[in-house]
Amino acid sequence: MTREPGESWRLPPVASLLAAVLLIACAEVGGASMVRFKLDLARWARSVILARPAIHGLVGVRDVDEQVIDEALVKFDASLRLFHLHAEGMGLVIIATTMAAATLVSPGVPRRVLLVLLTAGGAGYPFGYLLWGVLIPYHGVERAKAVAEWLAWIPFGGGTIVATWWLAAVVGARLVRRA
Amino acid sequence: MRRPPLVVVFIGLFVIALGESAGALMTRLRPQIERYARARVAANPQAHGLAGSAEYDAEVTARAVYTAEAGLSFFHTHAQGLGPLAIFVSTIAASAVPWRRARGAVYALLALGALFPLGYLAYSLAALEWGREVGVEAIERYVLAPLGTAAIAALVALAVLLLAARRRATA
Repeated sequence: MTREPGESWRLPPVASLLAAVLLIACAEVGGASMVRFKLDLARWARSVILARPAIHGLVGVRDVDEQVIDEALVKFDASLRLFHLHAEGMGLVIIATTMAAATLVSPGVPRRVLLVLLTAGGAGYPFGYLLWGVLIPYHGVERAKAVAEWLAWIPFGGGTIVATWWLAAVVGARLVRRA
Repeated sequence: MRRPPLVVVFIGLFVIALGESAGALMTRLRPQIERYARARVAANPQAHGLAGSAEYDAEVTARAVYTAEAGLSFFHTHAQGLGPLAIFVSTIAASAVPWRRARGAVYALLALGALFPLGYLAYSLAALEWGREVGVEAIERYVLAPLGTAAIAALVALAVLLLAARRRATA
């Protein structure tokens, strides 16, 4: 097989690969911990919720309170699952997209900006789910969601969405020019 | 590693971008999406078998809306998975399959397979427009099954070609 230099992938920066690998590792650890410490995590969340009755709207009536606590615990569990899933997925997305950016975008400021957005956005976004989960027992489901949204999902998720569309547009334009 | 054709890379990136955007929109616009879904079910009473009984119709509507939301969720997760898969698997084909036509066939199958997540968008819409069971069955049969089969065929073909290339190299 003969190899033309223009037809080979360029490696993305080591920082991007490191971020992706660590993110995937965090996802694996998160998934394993969810299984291993399921009861401990639920017990911890429950105790924090019970210590903050006003925040969760607990009224002291067992039937009513148990339903509220169950709903919060379901969301708490979902947040950990979503962290696990998104971190695994985004790790691979970071590798694929930064490899494409490093190879197909001309060197310069735009490429550096793209690589930063794809790496930081992709790596930061899944931690929003972890943040949401940790904050649920302290601040309630909706307030915790709003914090995670503004601190992680909008900045990091927004960054990676903009960068991925930008990269797709650059590759699409190159495809059109070549045609 | 060799780079696959630009068109395969573009499809992979496009599907990833769609999947990411869908996830964000699903979170931000959940109430609007639910309202739209309910409106579409109400606009197609015959397709959904609405009977005019409030209790029964509410249950049928809830099931159709749940199916449409599940379709959007599947679209998001599958797009995030199949986009990178198309790029990585086509890279393996580009690097390790020595036969040009065989590589081309794997690229074509992968490009089709990468569009599989879009089938879930159609699944959501069909469940609302044609009724839950009819819509889901039609999309599964005519969209999801062919596109999913293309992705599976690409992976199986690549595995066979890798074995053949190895045998050729050792012969």
